[in-house]
Formats: sequence, structure tokens, C-alpha cells
Amino acid sequence: MDTLTNQTMKINRYYIAVIAVLVFGACDNFLDVSPKDSVSDEQTIFDKGSSEAALRGVYSALGSAGYYGTSFQSIGYLSGDNIQWTGSQSQVQEFINHQVKADNATISSAWVAIYQTINRANNVLAKVPNVADATLTDALRNQILGEAYFIRALAYFDLARVWGGVPILTKPTLTAGDNLGVRRSTTEEVYQQVLTDLQTAEPLLPLTTDRYRATRKTAWALLARYYLYRKAYDKAEEYASKLLDDNTNYQLLKPYGSFFQADVRGTRESVLEIFYNGTTEQNTHRNQWQPQTNSGTRQWAPNDAFVALANNATVGGNRSVLVAKDNQNRWYGNLYYRATPSDPSYIIRIAELYLIRAEARAAQEKLDASRGDLNAVRDRAGLGATPAVTKDELLLAIENERRVEFALEPHRWFDLVRTDRAASVLSVSDKNRYVLPIPADQILADTVLRQNEAYR
Amino acid sequence: MNIPLPIPFGRAWRSVFAVLSALFLFSSTVSAQQSVVTGTIRSSESAEGIPGVNVVIKGTSAGTITDVNGNFSLQAGADAVLVISSIGFQSQEVPLQGRTSLQLQLENDVRQLDEVVVVGYGSLERKDLIGSVTKVNPAETKGIQAGSFDAQLQGKVSGVQISSNTGVPGDAVTIRVRGATSINADNDPLYVIDGVFVNGNSLQTINTGGKATSPISDINPADIESIEVLKDAEATALYGARGANGVVLVTTRRGDFNQRTKVTFNASTGWAKAPKLWDLTTGPEHATLVNEFYRNAYADAERTNNAPNMTKYRYVPFRATNDNPTATPAPLGLPEEQQTYDRLHELFRTARLQSYDLSLTGGNKNTRFYIAGGYNRQEAIIKPIYFERASFKVNLDQRVNEKVLVGVSNTFTRTFRNQARAGDGPQGGLLQAALHTPTYLSPTNEQGQPVGRAGFDNLTSLLNNYDVNSTSLRYIGNLFADVDILPSLKFRTSWGVDYNNYDESEYWNTFLLLGASGGLATSSITQYTTWLNEQTLTYSPSLGDDHALKILFGNTLQSDVSKRTYAEGRGFANNSFTQISSASTSTSQQTWSSNTLASFFAKAAYGYADRYLFDVSVRADGSSRFGKANRWGYFPAVGAAWRIKQEGFLRDVDAISNLKLRVSYGITGNQNGIGNFASRGLWSGSSGYQGSPGTAPLQLANDNLKWERTSQISAGIDAGFLDNRLTAEVNVYRKYTTDGLLQVTVPASTGFANFWDNSTEISNRGFELELKSVNIRRGNLEWITTFNVARNINKIEKLRTPSRYGSRDLILLKEGSPLYSFWVYKQLYVDPQTGNAVYEDVNPDGKITTDDRQIYGSIWPKYFGGVTNTVNYRSFDLSVFFSFQYGNKVYNHNRFFGEGGGAREAARVIFASNLKRWQKPGDVTHVPRPDGVNVNNYLDGGSRWLEDGSFLRLRALTLGYTLPKQAISRLGIQNLRVYASGTNLLLFTKYTGLDPESSVSSDQNQQGIDLGTPPQPRSVQLGVSVGL
Repeated sequence: MDTLTNQTMKINRYYIAVIAVLVFGACDNFLDVSPKDSVSDEQTIFDKGSSEAALRGVYSALGSAGYYGTSFQSIGYLSGDNIQWTGSQSQVQEFINHQVKADNATISSAWVAIYQTINRANNVLAKVPNVADATLTDALRNQILGEAYFIRALAYFDLARVWGGVPILTKPTLTAGDNLGVRRSTTEEVYQQVLTDLQTAEPLLPLTTDRYRATRKTAWALLARYYLYRKAYDKAEEYASKLLDDNTNYQLLKPYGSFFQADVRGTRESVLEIFYNGTTEQNTHRNQWQPQTNSGTRQWAPNDAFVALANNATVGGNRSVLVAKDNQNRWYGNLYYRATPSDPSYIIRIAELYLIRAEARAAQEKLDASRGDLNAVRDRAGLGATPAVTKDELLLAIENERRVEFALEPHRWFDLVRTDRAASVLSVSDKNRYVLPIPADQILADTVLRQNEAYR
Repeated sequence: MNIPLPIPFGRAWRSVFAVLSALFLFSSTVSAQQSVVTGTIRSSESAEGIPGVNVVIKGTSAGTITDVNGNFSLQAGADAVLVISSIGFQSQEVPLQGRTSLQLQLENDVRQLDEVVVVGYGSLERKDLIGSVTKVNPAETKGIQAGSFDAQLQGKVSGVQISSNTGVPGDAVTIRVRGATSINADNDPLYVIDGVFVNGNSLQTINTGGKATSPISDINPADIESIEVLKDAEATALYGARGANGVVLVTTRRGDFNQRTKVTFNASTGWAKAPKLWDLTTGPEHATLVNEFYRNAYADAERTNNAPNMTKYRYVPFRATNDNPTATPAPLGLPEEQQTYDRLHELFRTARLQSYDLSLTGGNKNTRFYIAGGYNRQEAIIKPIYFERASFKVNLDQRVNEKVLVGVSNTFTRTFRNQARAGDGPQGGLLQAALHTPTYLSPTNEQGQPVGRAGFDNLTSLLNNYDVNSTSLRYIGNLFADVDILPSLKFRTSWGVDYNNYDESEYWNTFLLLGASGGLATSSITQYTTWLNEQTLTYSPSLGDDHALKILFGNTLQSDVSKRTYAEGRGFANNSFTQISSASTSTSQQTWSSNTLASFFAKAAYGYADRYLFDVSVRADGSSRFGKANRWGYFPAVGAAWRIKQEGFLRDVDAISNLKLRVSYGITGNQNGIGNFASRGLWSGSSGYQGSPGTAPLQLANDNLKWERTSQISAGIDAGFLDNRLTAEVNVYRKYTTDGLLQVTVPASTGFANFWDNSTEISNRGFELELKSVNIRRGNLEWITTFNVARNINKIEKLRTPSRYGSRDLILLKEGSPLYSFWVYKQLYVDPQTGNAVYEDVNPDGKITTDDRQIYGSIWPKYFGGVTNTVNYRSFDLSVFFSFQYGNKVYNHNRFFGEGGGAREAARVIFASNLKRWQKPGDVTHVPRPDGVNVNNYLDGGSRWLEDGSFLRLRALTLGYTLPKQAISRLGIQNLRVYASGTNLLLFTKYTGLDPESSVSSDQNQQGIDLGTPPQPRSVQLGVSVGL
């Protein structure tokens, strides 16, 4: 018995030794498993190639489904008076009724996507200046930074248009504790940030023409829109002219459909559009518009009023191609239609710069020049010259022209808000409702975030 | 994969085996002067030979086992004492006193309460059990119509809540052992099949509208010998980091040594049907409601002077075709002119069920085996879904010598699913096409072509063209060796594998919405591999009659690897081309993920005088999911039991046949369900632009991420009365989870939505009661009733930011409330004067805003359980089993859509219940006047659609008849039973939907929302079971 116990103890001791070897020798290796689908955030922007890749990541966010892919765009047109809700997601109806609630899923996804874009831009802006790589020339480094500044400017501009004052963040979030506790700035401060970023971007950017990327000309175009919103009409006119004068590169294409039909992209109509290759980069915006017979969900569609306008030969002209009928005789919007989901998202078109200048000139009482710009857009749509004579008539004509010209793009709501016409056109009498509610989940997550007044 | 272990292991094993071999040689040479002793052992009751009886020479480990006829033969000295033992019989000690031939009889063991219970890394008699373990005999449940064995357990295990979620066979069920402990980590129990930790998470990637398949349905219930559910910390702590949500131990069938080969064949066939269908409006009724909405909306616009709306609602749509024919909306004809189209009966069918199982078991002196094959096919009650499982199983054990037993368990399964979307989402949704489409709309357009209405597919086109399926190939197996180093020292090594190849494909041709632009095909292959190695050493020395000691040491190494390859093609020349290679554009993806777990555990159990039982255990787990500083977690447990009946003062109290008190406390962990790399800061490379790759932040790091820990204190009483004719078990427990794994929301202005952290605390407390009563046992009649009921109270003790889940944010997780609470606008009543819904204005500001949403009930029942009555009379057996649940809420989301008041016009069906709407002052009803969608009377998240989900269900009814032996023995048949059984024959509930267990999503945080999924069917089966 004693012998056996000794044997047992020996075996036990041996076994414990085996365990000890396993614990201290092998276990740490055994427990080290690294991902293959993604990389550590400690090795992200370190040379020319990774700097360019990170910048493409910023554009990718700009074109994501929550931002210019679908959600943000839909806020701009659904809140107008051209679109009706035809699907199942009743959050859509809230925009059309102008009764958006704080728990609306669309505003939440737009908020998230826009700030994601800003954080990506902030990563580029923080890290690219420190990259030590001889092949990263100063010109290229400046271009990368300029593009990131431009995109950040656009992002804050869009935030200000939808929500007014928002938190301003200009440093990347690197750890879980960064960028917390930032209060909302005022609307003025956000617009000031937009201007600062645009003015920083302008000299950094090359004076080239690229319709998928920000260049110095793209910065001018956004400055023109910025000054129009800020009612600095002389500057709006000045910056719009910089592009309108460059008519070898930027032209109104005839007829209207030529800038988007037949799968074209990057036409001379376009100042900035998001590129989607349709496979790894998809724009699913079409799914909301196209009818079921074209694999869409027809979540929303042009309303009766807009269908009438578009098909009216003296109002819509050849812009009637924006609407089409399905096999149940139902109308649908047809700006985003490609079976391979590669429709560009149009951010700035040259038509907008004509109408910006028309409005800026009208506001400055340059009525004939204004009429000329308006008529350029009307002519392209196959319409005769505008009958508007007085400044007020002209401003109304421009407003109505924009309604049809940009019916399926994010303009109508922002136009009626910036001109303070939403009350009379859309019956939104409470001006506090000119901004939408901060998403309720963000109010919950961020203790310093205060809700907009109308939604408290 | 970098696993350096096998090499040191291999070397170590060679040395261990060298030592062991020396031991065997040593021990087999100890005795001398032997002669051959033969004998037969019979039952004192039947006088038949008893096979498999242990015959051991006292004081040694030498011995043998009786053969099929009860005969044995061994070498023993003339003065040896034989110890004769067999489960179910009283042991005997027989001094040989020179005899070489023996005729022995064994008495039946009357202490029948001592069933053997499988627990973590061993088994023991129930009398020695300290923890809370419920054993289920699968014979009682396997006739219940369900795709997987866990779904069959509903109502059978006290404290285990099981919800079937859908009538689609083989889809995931929700199973919760003593509540739920986590928000973002898994709440499913750990499944251990023959020692292998199997994957319980669905590998499905195809979108079936939020539903997921159950990987547990790859297991054929017919192969299962026993199921043990471990519930408290004493029982689960040996599973440490895996034990917080309970453990389901499955033991599959094995042969017996010295057993005649038995053949068993089971066949059954059956029919299943929906118990009822939804009650919808007719076309004229639908039109009337829409017109009524227009009139109300026009009146509202006039009252508020809203010019756009006055234009919009000026004309009702259902008006005579010559009534203002050019005005918008265009006239659709008068309500009474509308047609009614029935789509539900086109979708629902009487489903066929078939099941066949053939098994072979047996063994000789050194080998035993179980070989089985099974085939099961279940159609869903909606076309075209069906589930098909073919499996075979080989369990084999071989005695190498007296000390070494080697065994293998192998399960191979092929599970094929013909799938379809029976959940949320417009495209491809079966119930969207059949139920949610307005009844007045024709399935064809003016040209006679089939068209989908209301944004959904055309039902006929769907049923004719659906082509979505998946094939799961599964191997679960292990190889083990048991070595009796000494009579008191046993060693086991086990190597296990769970391999699953999950192959899915979809083809959407141009007749279907998803494929309308040129067709869409996808193919996805997921491979999930778990391998597991385990060693245990058990030491149980003899310390005299009053002391029982058992010590266990063990280790486990586990690695999980998941790989997926996915391809998608769009644009096919025509519908005959279905492979992605024919597509004009295609995309593909590849993903890989892995985690490893290393564990060490030890347990010591001590019993004194068969009265006082104590044990203590600890497990250490290291996980690759956490950073180096936090990867090890330690999970201890202690338990004690007092067998009061064994005390002198109770020993002679005849009325009380058993009384035992048990208490335990322990800590278990959870890390399942979080990403394999959840603690790391990551950038992804999939944010390309202009066709070139782009990078972007993906996840914020948290180096401090660690295990979720659940402490549990549990106490119970086992009691038996009148010779255990009446037995009871009562348990109370309190679980408290700290460091709960959560995707903590961060302000999105940081660019991130959340990061993984340990920040929640959740408690569960409750009680369980099980009763079993032998009401009658007289002659040929036996009637047994078992009953169980449990209550669990769940509460989120700590959660910084409330988080919302589910469609329309119907579910809110908030500190102080239970998990999965419904978050609604509480409708108080409908004002009889105005017809408007009046909601509770929680912050009395006179407006109904998001701030007025409140928590109102949850998915948790107040009580749940089951009651079973079994009656055996002569050759008849009858079993009647009810399960019940009381006090839980269900959001009837189908009715939410279907009771839209007409404002959804052509976009949605209207349920007949909407006809009860308010129409004129004085009407008293809970359905307000129609006035829009998601406004005023029809707010998303209104409590009008939140219903009581309590139910009492006749879950199973079985009647069997076993043919008399004399009649069949001439045919060489040992046993022949025919039976009829029914599942879900009756359902008593106030719920107005079809099934209060329906849930649209398999997401654990989105349960209790009933949308777009079929009810559990009512089914009837006929079967025969033959033993040769």
C-alpha cells in the first residue's frame, strides 16, 4: 500500500509538472490569437500609401448609407413638398408631416454617419502631417490635408443645416475617453468652423478638375453655397462665378437627363459627386426609390403634386425624366436607378451654381444678370425664358426652379428654411422646428447634449 | 494557427504511459494460488440471469462482469471474498470458502430514488448530489414535434424557460436557465455532448428576416440517453467561464458489456396544421376604412386650416369611377365594388412529418457498441419550408485490459433546410406577401401579369420560385481513454471535435423582387471547428465506512476557428443561369476568426457518515479574447448538503422517506457572444473609394476588458414521503452578475457608436418547485403526476445609458427594470366623444412626446412550468403534458400593422379587429378613429398592441399500446409498441395573435415581438416502435 501511494504521488507530481509546463510555457502562446480581417489601430497612417488609403476611408464615410448614400439626403428632400411615403417605415412619414420625433431612426443614422466622417477626417488631419516618408511630397501631403479639411467643412455645414449648433470636434478619437463632454456650439460657431476649414483647404488643394474628389474649385463651389446660406450675396456671386467662368470644364448638359441617364458619371455637369463602383462600394439609395419590379422597395415616391409639376411642359420640361411609372401605374423617382448599385451621389452640380448666382444677383438687385442665370437652367430643361420681372418675382421663380431642378436631391427643405419660407409653403409655423431634434439615443449617451427647444 | 501544445504533450504522455505500463505489470503479478471460480447470478424476483453484474475480489481491482445469461468466471484464491454489485440491486459479499461454483441471487435495490445523475466531469447518485441538477428522460420528450431536443424540453425542467419563437422547424429557440445575466454576451446555456463543448450559435448568414437556425437541431433526439440541466453554481462552477447560463449535459446512448445485440426500429408519420389563421377585413371593409380615414383627415385639415392637407384629402379614393375622375387620388370604385382575395390559404398547408430511427446496441466481454441511423423530415405549415435531418452514430468502447478502457463517440449529421423568409422585411417575406398585403388588391395587374402589392412579393411567384437553402454537415465526436491507475485513482484523457460545414445558397430569379433586375445569387460557406482536449484525474481513497472523499483535477484546452467564404452575383442572362460564374458582376468576401481557451480545475468532495456532504471546487480559465492582463479568470464554488433523514431522530419516522437540505455558493463566468477581438482597437481595410482600398477606424480598444462574473447562492430541499410515493424538490436562488459585458454607447460625435466594456450588473432571483406523485400503483395500474413551477425575477441593477432594441424601439433596457421590458406609449382609453386615443402623459406637459414612453411589462413570465400525467394500465400507456406561462407580455406587431386604421391605404392589410374603431360620439371602444400613421391615434409603440402572453398549452398527448409478448415472440420480436401522439393540441390564451411564443427575431434583445412568423403547428403523429 505504501509503495502504491508513493507511486501515486510520483504520478501526481509528474502530472502537476506537466500542468506547470503548460501554464507557464505554452499557455500564453496558445492564448495569443490575432485577427486577420482587420488590423491594430496602432499601425494605421505611417507612409504615403497608408495616408492615401486613410483619405479614401474619409470619402467612403462621406458616401456611406447614413450620409450621402441615403439618410442625410432623404432628410433634405422628404422634408420638402415633393415626396410621399409609400413604404412600411413610418419614420419616413414624420419628415413629410414635419413631426419628426427624437427617436426617428433616419436622423440617428445621419448623425452617426456624419460624425464618423468627421472622425476619419480628424485622423487624417492629425496623423498625416507627422508621416515621415520621402515619397509623400509636400504637394501630395497638402492635397491630402486639403481634401480632409474640405470634407470636414462639408460635414459641419450639413450638421448645421439639419440641427443648428452641434458639438465641434477637431481631434480624432483614439481611446474610449477622448472627445467626451463636448457641449453644443452655437449655429454661428459651427458655420465659423465650416468657413475656417474651407479657407484652410482652399490653398492646400490643387487647382485641377476632379469630379470625385475635392479640389480648389470644389472648395470655391462650396464657399458659394456657404455664402448664399449666410446671405453674403456678393461673395456667393464671386465664388459661383469662379466655376461658371470655367466653362470648358463645367457646363449644363442638354437635355436634363444627360447628367445621370444611361449610366453616365462624372459629366461636365458635375462639380462633386461620390463615386461608387457598384461592388465593393455600393450606393443603395436606389432601393428606396425604385419600385419592387426593379428590385427596390419604393419606400417613398414623388407625390401627386410633384408628378404634375414634372410632367407640366411649362414647368418641368424635359425634367419629366425624374419620374417614371411601374407596372401597377404607380409613379416612382428615377434619378437613382442602376441595377448594379453604382449611382453617383450628386453633392454639387453646376446647375446649382447658376441658381446660387441667380439668387445672389437678384438679392443684390442685379435683376437682368440674375434672369440670365435662371434662364440658363430653364433653357437646359427645354423651357422658355422666365416671366419674372421684379426682384420678388424673380426670387420666387428661383425658389420654384430649385424645387423642380433638385427635387430628388437634398435641397428643398434647406432652401425653404434658409429663406424662412417653410412657414408659408409647408405650414411649419413654429420656427423652432426649422431644426430637427437631436437623436434621442445621443441625448441618452451624451450627458452634456441638450435637445433642441421644440423637441424638449 | 499557432498551437505549440501537442509537442510537450506528446513527450509528457510517453513518460506517463511508461510509468503506467510498469504499474500494470506490477499489479498483475501480486496474487498467487489461484483457481477458476464459475457461477451464475440471478434476480431474486424473476429468476432470470442478470447480465453486466460486477464481480470483484474484495481488496483488489481484479474482477469480471457477468455475460448475457448472468454467468461469470474468474481466477480467485480459495479464501477470497467476492463483491457482487449491479445498479438496481443490493450488493453482496460472498466468501468463497473453497467453493469453485456459485449460484447467487441478487435482491432488488429498494432505494430507487438513487438515480444516477451525470454532473460536470463525472456522475453520482442523486443522494450524494449537492447542486441543483434536473435530469430529463428523453423518452418522455422525444415524441414532441420540434426540430431540436432543447425545444422539446419546454415545461419539463423547472426554472428553465424555453420559447419556441416560430413554427419553422429547426429554427433557434430561446432557452434561459434561471433567467438571463447579460445584455451583449450570450445568455444561452453551454451544451456539452459526450464531453464536447458544442457550438450552440447559428452559423446562418442568409437573411431570413431576423430568424436564425438552431445548430442544436443537428442532434438526433433518438440518440440521447439522458439530458441533465445544471442550474446552480455548485453544479456549473466546474465549467467556470462557460457556466453562468447553466449547462446542458447530453449523454448519448452506448452499448452494455455482455449484452445480447438488440435492434430497435422506430417509425412515425404525422400531419401538422396551423391551429387558426388571422381574421382579415374583406375588400369592401378595407375600402370603407380608408374612406373614413380620408374624411377624418379632411375634417382635421379644415379645422386646423392646413391647406396642403385639405387638397390632399379632398376626395376619398374609393368613390365611383365617374366621380371627379381626374382628381387625385384617382377613383378606385365604390367600397362595395371591391373584390376580396384570400392569400393565407394559398400559403398555409397541412404539413407532412416523417421520422425513422434504427439502432443496434450490444456488447461482449470487452467491447460494447451503439450504432444508429436516423432520418427526420418535417415540413413547415407554410410552403415551401422544410427541414430534413439524416444522421448516423457510432459509439464504441473497448476494454484494452482490466485497467484501460478506450472509447469513441461519433455523430455525423446532414441537415438540409429549404428556407424562406418567415420574419421581418418586405422582400421575399412569405407572411408579408400573404398576410400583410391588402385583401382587395388583385394578385395580377391590368395586363394579367402577377404583381406584388404593397411593396411585397407576389405570393404565387414566391411560392413557385423560392430557391433558398442550406446544408449543414456536422461531425461531433470524441476519443477518450479511461485508465484505472489504482482502484482509487482514475485518469481520463479525451480529445473532442465539433466540425460544422454550413453551406448556404440563394437564387432570386427575375420573378421575385430581390432578383427583379437580372437575378441575384449568393453562396456562402461557413466552417466552424472546435477542438477540445481534456485530462482529468480522480482520486477516491477508501477511508473507512464513515468517510467518503473524492478529489478531481483536470485541464481543458479549446480552440474555435470560424471561416467564411461568400460570393454574390448579379445580372444573369436569363433565369436558367443560376450559378455565380454566369453573373455579370460578382463580389466576394472572406472572413476568419478564432479564439482559444485554456482551463484548469480541481474539486474536492467529502461526505461524512452518509449524512454530511461538502464540496469545494475552483476553475481557472484563460481566454484569448481579453488582453494579457485580464485574460485569466478564477471561478470557485462551495456546497454542502445535510441528509437529515439519515439522522437518528428521523430514521424511524416512516412517513418521511427522504429529507435533504442543500446549499451552495459559487462564481461562474461568461465571455460567449462577444467578438473574438472585442478588447482590441482595430482599423478595417474595407472602406474603399473609387475602386481603391481605404482604411478606417473600426473599434475602440479596451485593455481592461474581462470576464463577466455571476455569483449565485442557491438552497434547496429534497423531500420524499410514503416510500417516496410523493417527492418534492424546492430551490431558491439569487444570481448576481457583475462586470457585465456591454457594448457601451459612446456619443456618436466621437465617431464611434460604442465599445466593449464591463459595466452592467444584473440580478436574477427566484424559486423552483418540482413535485412528483405516484397517485396510484395497484396491480396493472400506475398513475404518476409530475408538476413543476418556477418564478424568476430579473432586474438590471446597473446600466449607465438605457439602450433600445427592436423595431420601433419597442424594447428598452434600463436600470431598475427587467431585461427586455417593453417601452410604449400607454393608451389609457379612447375618448368616447372625440374618438381619439388618450395616452398617459407621463411628464404632464400636455404633449405626447418620446418622453412619455414608459416601461410597461416585459417578456418575462411571472410563473412558468409544466404538468405531466402518465397512466400505465396493462399494455396501455397514456401521457398528458401541459406547459404554461403566466404574466408575460407580447407585442403583437402583426396587429400593429394590420390595425392602421385605413391610413396605410394600399400599403397594408387591415385586420378585422380594426372594424371595432370609434365612429361616432358615444362609441366605447379601444380602437380610436383613423387619423394617420405614427401620429396621434396610431403612434408607433402604442400599448394598444401590447398583449398578455400568458398561456396554457396541451404540449403533448401520447397514447401507446404495447403488444403482449406471447403474441409477438413467435415472430422473433421482443417488443412492439404502437402509439399516437399529438403536439400543441390545445392552447388557452388571451393573446389575439396566433401564438404567444412567436418572435420575429432571434436576437436575444429583441424577443417578444410577433411579426411575420408562423405559429407552432398543431400536429398529430402515428408511430410504431419495434425491438428485436
